[in-house]
Amino acid sequence: MLKYETTYKEWKGTTLAVAGGGSASIKLWDTATWKLIASLSIPRPEGPKPSDKANSKKFVLSVAWSPDGRRLACGSMDGTISIFDVARAKFLHHLEGHSMPVRSLVYSPIDARVLFSASDDTHVHMYDAEGKTLVGAMSGHTSWVLSVDASPDGTGIATGSSDKTVRLWDLGMRAAVQTMSNHIDQVWGVSFRPPGGNGVLAGRLASVSDDKSISLYGYS
Amino acid sequence: MACVYIPVQNSEEEVRVALDQLPRDASDILDILKAEQAPLDLWLIIAREYFKQGKIEQFRQILEEGSSPEIDEYYADIRYERIAILNALGAYYTYLGKIETKQREKEEHFILATQYYNKASRIDMHEPSTWVGKGQLLLAKGEVEQASSAFKIVLEADRDNVPALLGQACVEFNRGRFSDSLELYKRALQVYPDCPGAVRIGIGLCRYKLGQFEKARRAFQRALQLDPENVEALVALAIMDLHANEASGIRKGMQKMQRAFEIYPYCAMALNYLANHFFFTGQHFLVEQLTETALAVTNHGPTKSHSYYNLARSYHSKGDYEKSGLYYMASVKEINKPHEFLFPYYGLGQVQLKLGDFRSALTNFEKVLEVYPDNCETLKSLGHIYVQLGQIEKGQEFLKKAAKIDSRDDQAFTDLAELLISSDTSAALEAFKTARTLMKKGGLEVPIEVLNNIGVLHFEKEEFEWAQQVFMEALGDGIWLTLLDNKVNIYAIDASASILQYKDMQLFRRLEEDGHSVELPWNKVTVLFNLARLLEQLNNTEAASILYRLILFKYPDYIDAYLRLAAISKARNNLQLSIELVNEALKVNGKYSNALSMLGDLELKNDDWVKAKETFRAASDATDGKDSYATLSLGNWNYYAALRNEKRAPKLEATHLEKAKELYTRVLIQHTSNLYAANGAGVVLAEKGHFDVSKDIFTQVQEAASGSVFLQMPDVWINLAHVYFAQGNFALAVKMYQNCLRKFHYNTDAQILLYLARTHYEAEQWQDCKKTLLRAIHLAPSNYTLRFDAGVAMQKFSASTLQKTKRTADEVRSTVAELENAVRVFSQLSAGSNLHLHGFDEKKINTHVEYCKHLLEAAKVHREAAEREEQQNRQRQEAARQVALAEEARRKAEEQKKYLLEKRKQEDEQKRVRQLEEHFERVKEQWKSSTSASKRRERTENDEEEGGHSEKRRKKGGKRRRKDKSSRSRYDSHEEADMMDDQEEQEDEDANMNYRETTHQMDDQDDAAGENAQDLLAAAGLEDSDAEDEMAAPSSAAARRRRALSESDDDEQPNPMRDNIDELHDSDGEVRDDNDKPNEDAGFDDD
Repeated sequence: MLKYETTYKEWKGTTLAVAGGGSASIKLWDTATWKLIASLSIPRPEGPKPSDKANSKKFVLSVAWSPDGRRLACGSMDGTISIFDVARAKFLHHLEGHSMPVRSLVYSPIDARVLFSASDDTHVHMYDAEGKTLVGAMSGHTSWVLSVDASPDGTGIATGSSDKTVRLWDLGMRAAVQTMSNHIDQVWGVSFRPPGGNGVLAGRLASVSDDKSISLYGYS
Repeated sequence: MACVYIPVQNSEEEVRVALDQLPRDASDILDILKAEQAPLDLWLIIAREYFKQGKIEQFRQILEEGSSPEIDEYYADIRYERIAILNALGAYYTYLGKIETKQREKEEHFILATQYYNKASRIDMHEPSTWVGKGQLLLAKGEVEQASSAFKIVLEADRDNVPALLGQACVEFNRGRFSDSLELYKRALQVYPDCPGAVRIGIGLCRYKLGQFEKARRAFQRALQLDPENVEALVALAIMDLHANEASGIRKGMQKMQRAFEIYPYCAMALNYLANHFFFTGQHFLVEQLTETALAVTNHGPTKSHSYYNLARSYHSKGDYEKSGLYYMASVKEINKPHEFLFPYYGLGQVQLKLGDFRSALTNFEKVLEVYPDNCETLKSLGHIYVQLGQIEKGQEFLKKAAKIDSRDDQAFTDLAELLISSDTSAALEAFKTARTLMKKGGLEVPIEVLNNIGVLHFEKEEFEWAQQVFMEALGDGIWLTLLDNKVNIYAIDASASILQYKDMQLFRRLEEDGHSVELPWNKVTVLFNLARLLEQLNNTEAASILYRLILFKYPDYIDAYLRLAAISKARNNLQLSIELVNEALKVNGKYSNALSMLGDLELKNDDWVKAKETFRAASDATDGKDSYATLSLGNWNYYAALRNEKRAPKLEATHLEKAKELYTRVLIQHTSNLYAANGAGVVLAEKGHFDVSKDIFTQVQEAASGSVFLQMPDVWINLAHVYFAQGNFALAVKMYQNCLRKFHYNTDAQILLYLARTHYEAEQWQDCKKTLLRAIHLAPSNYTLRFDAGVAMQKFSASTLQKTKRTADEVRSTVAELENAVRVFSQLSAGSNLHLHGFDEKKINTHVEYCKHLLEAAKVHREAAEREEQQNRQRQEAARQVALAEEARRKAEEQKKYLLEKRKQEDEQKRVRQLEEHFERVKEQWKSSTSASKRRERTENDEEEGGHSEKRRKKGGKRRRKDKSSRSRYDSHEEADMMDDQEEQEDEDANMNYRETTHQMDDQDDAAGENAQDLLAAAGLEDSDAEDEMAAPSSAAARRRRALSESDDDEQPNPMRDNIDELHDSDGEVRDDNDKPNEDAGFDDD
C-alpha cells in the first residue's frame, strides 16, 4: 500500500528518480548511499493561494529519463508533462496536449528529444520535448492508455491499455500495425527487452495485466 | 378549259359559260338560267363549280334558288335533279354543322340539313343518294346506329353504292369493327377505283387500327400520291413516322406534320402533334399557341383532351402547377373512359401530389394503375403518397411491388430503400445495395447519396469496415486520401499552443503551399462528415479531427463539424478548447440548439451553474421548448441544484426536485419513449423513496437501451444498482456495479468502484471493500478520500475480526498487520493534512489513528495469546504427530508385511502361470505391474493419515476460543461505539467525495468532529454497560439503513446523471447527424 508511490520510478546509473505523487515533484535518490539528492518541484500554477484542487491536479504519476540522462520528464494528473534539466535541477517547461492523467512516459532510445506519453484520453502523443512541439498524436485505443514503451531500435512503440489490448505502433506510419488482445483485463505495463541480448532473447516484448498474467511476444 | 352550254329557249343557240370565268355575282347566272329555263343539272353543275372555287355564298344562292317552290312547280317532273339539288344543300348544311363549334348554330345547321333531306325524300322515297346523305347527317350528329340503318337501306338496294359503302365503313370504324370497315372500304375501291383519297385513308386507318402498319402506310402514301395536299394522309403518315421512334423517323414525321400544317392550319390532330413536338423541344410559347388553335377548331373529345393535355403539360413543365392542374382537369373531363387516354390522369396526379392534395392524387394514380397494374412509375408514386398519408406499410407494399416488377429499376429500389430507412434498416440496406448493383450493371455512376446511405446503414448496423469501404468509394479521389495516409502528421505543431490543436487550419494551408489542391466538392461534404464520424467511432479520433477540420477549412459554416470537434476535445477533457469550438459554432448560428445545449453541458462541467442554466434556457427557447435535450438538461440542472444544497434547505430541495420532475415529465409527454427522460423521472422517484417504481423504470430503460451503438446508458445500470443498494439487496447491487464497470468503463471508473466499495461496506464484506478501494486508489492515486476510506475499511475489518468468537492465530496476525496498515494510512493522511493535500480535518484523522493504535495494542495482546495458544497447539500437534508417526511406522511395517505376503502370493500365482504359459517375458512384465500397484497403495495411505491430523487440529481450535471469551466484552463496547462512529465518518467521506468545495467541507468536518468527540466520550463512559450497548446497536443499524437510503441518492447520483448529459449529447447529436444524411438525399422525384 505504501509502496505505491514508488511504483513509478526509474534508475539512471545510481540515481533513482521517483514520481513524487501528491508532493508534485520528482525525488532523486542516490542508490549507492540511499540519500535524497534532489527534489524537482513542478512550479505551482499562479493563483492567490494553493488550493487542494491544484495539488491533486499536479499529482505526479509518471517519470522518464532521457537516454542521455540530461533530462527528466514527469506526467501528472491534469495531463501536463513537465520537463526538467537534471544537471541544474531546474524546471524547464510544460508540454501540453493532454487533459487527462498521463500514466506513462518514455523517451525514444535513439533520439533524446523525442518523448512519448500515454494518457487516459486514449491517445499517445509524440513530443519534441526540447522544441515544445507536439509532433504527432496517435489514437486507436478505446480506453485509457496505461503504459508505453519504445522499442530499442526506436522505430516503434508498444502501448498497453485498459481496453485489454496491447498495441504496436509504427512510427513511420504513425499507425497501429498490430493489436494483441490476448489479455482479458486491463494491461498495466508493457516493456521491451533492453538491447544486448541475441538469439531468441533479442526482440522481446512483455506485457502485464490485471488478469494476473504476463505475456511475452517476439518482436522484430 | 371546261365550259357549260346553256341552251337558249326556242332556238338552236346556246350560251357558253366558261366555268373558270363565272361571274362574281351569282345573280347574273341565275338570271340566265331562269330566263332560259335551263335544265336543272346545269344549275347543279354551276353551283358545284362555285363550291369548288370556294365561292360558297354563290353556291348556296344558286342551290337555294334551284330548290325554291317555283322551280318545284316548274320542273315538277324532273325529280332526280331536284333531289340532287336538295341533297347537295343537305350535304352542305351537314358539313357546316359538322365543322361548326358553337352548339346552337350547329343544331340549326343540322336542322336545315334534315329539312332538305326530308324534302328530297318526299320527292322520292327510294332515292339512294338521299339516304346516303341522311346517313352522313346522322353520322355527323353522332347517331351511329341510325346512320348505319340509313346506309343499309341503300346497300340493300344496290350493294355497290359507293357513298353508302363509305358511310357504312365509317359506321363500322366508329363502332370499332375495323376489319368490317376495311372490307367495305375495299369494296368501294373495287367498285370505283378512281375514288378520292379519302377511301384510301379510310383503308389506311383501318389497317393502322388493325396493327398492319406497313399496309396502312402504303395506303396513306397512295392517297398522298393521288393528292399531294391531302392533309389527313400527311398527318397519318407523320404520326406513323413519329411512332416509329427513330430520330430520322421523327424528323420526317415532323416535316410531314409541318407540311400538313402549312396546307391546312386548322387540323387539330396536326396541331396537337406539333404542340407535342414543341413541348419536347421546349418551345412552350408555340405549344400554347398551337394547342389553343387546336382547341378552337375541334370539338372532338379525345382530340380536345389531347390538346388540353399538351397545354397542361406545358404549364406543368414550367412549374405553374395551378394552371396545369386546371388544364389536366379539363383534359380529363373530355375523356369518357380512363383507358382511352391515361396521360392526363397521371399528370393530374403528379400536379396534385405537388400541390399536396394527396387524396385526389391517389384516386388519379389508382385510375392509371387500373389500366396499367404493372406500371412502375405509378406504383412508386402511389407508394410515396401512402407514405405521405402515413400509411407506411401500404406505401412499402407498392414500392416493393414496383421493385419486384421492374427488378432492373434502380430508382424503385432507391425509393424503397429510402422509405425503409426509418423502419427496417436491414431491408433498406439490401434495397440500396440492389440499386447500386443495378446502376453499376447499367454502366451508370452510382450517385454519392446512395453510397452515403449504404455507408450510414452499415454504420448503424455496426459493420464499420463495410461502412468505411463504401464511404471511401463515395468520396473517390481527393485530398482526404493524402490526409488519411498519415503523411501530413509530419507537420508538427507547437505543444504550448497545442491546446488549439483541433482548431488548427495551418495544416491545410501548408498542404496548399506544398502544391496539393485542397478541394472538397459540396456534394461530398456529407460523406466526408460521415466518414469522420465513423473514424471517431473506430477510435481513430485524430484522423476524424483532420477530416472535420478539412470540412471547416472549406465550409466554415458546417456547424456539426465544430460540434463533433468539440465533442472530441470534451471526451479528452479539454474543456477550454471544447467551449471555444462550440462558441465558433454559435458564431455561425447563435440559435443552434444543439450547440447551445452542448455549451450548457460544458459550463456545467466547469462548475458554471448560473451560466449553464441560462444557456440551457436559450437552447430551449431557440426551439420553442421542442428540443427535448434542452428541457432534459434543465431537468438535470434542477436535480443537481436540489442536491447541491444538501441538508441546508429542504424546502429549496423539494422545489428543485419538483421542477426537475415536471421537466422530465414534459419531455416524456412529447416523446413517450425518451429513455433519458424516463431515467430522470426514475431518479426523482428514487429520490422521493419510491424505489419499486423507480426500479421498474430503470429496468425498462436498461432493456430498451441495450442493442444500439449510438445508445449507451451506463447511468441506468448505476441507478438500478443504487436502488438495489437502497433496498438492501447488496448482492444484486454489487453485480450491477460490476457489470456496469466492465461493460462500459473497461473497469476504469474510480467513482463506481467507490459505490461498489460502499456496498461491500454495508454488506460488511470488509476484505472485498478494501480490495475494491485499493483498485480505485490505483486508478485515482490523487484521490485521498479513497485512502481514508481504505483505512476505515481496514479498521473495520480488524475490529470485526477481534470481535469474532472464533478466530485463529493467523487471523489475528493478519488483523494486526491490517491495523498497522490502517495506522500508516491515517498517519500519512494526517501528515498530508498539514500540506493541505486533501481537506480532511486533522483532529478526525488523529482520532482514527489513536483508535487504531489502541486497537492495535489490544490486538497485540490477542496476538500474543493466540500465538501462545498456537505454540501450545503446535507442541501438542507435534506430540500427536510423533504418536501418529510411530503409529504410522507400525502400520507401515504391517503394510510391508502384508505386501510381502501378497507378493509371495503373487509369486505363487506367477509360478502357476508360468506353468501354464511360456516363462521369461511373462515374468518380467508381471514384476513391473506389481511394483506400480504397490506404489499407488502407499499414497492413499498417506492421505488418510493427513486427514487424521487435521481433524485433531480442529478439535483443539475449539478449546482455545472458550478461553478468550472472558476478555471479549470489554472490546465489544468500544467496537459498538465505533461502529456508530464509523457510520458518521463514512457519511462524511461520501460528502467529501462529491463536494470538494472547501467551505462546505470544513463546516462538515467541524460538525463531524464535534460528534465524534461526543461519541468517544460516550464510548468511554458506557464501558461495560451491556444494556446500553444493545440499545445503541439497533439504533445505529436503523440509522445506517436510513442513511444508506438517502445517501445513495443524495451523493452518488449526481455524477451518473452528469454522465448522462455527455451520453445524451453524443447520442443526440449522432442521431441527428445520421438521420439528416439519408434525408438530405431523399426527396421525391416527380418523373
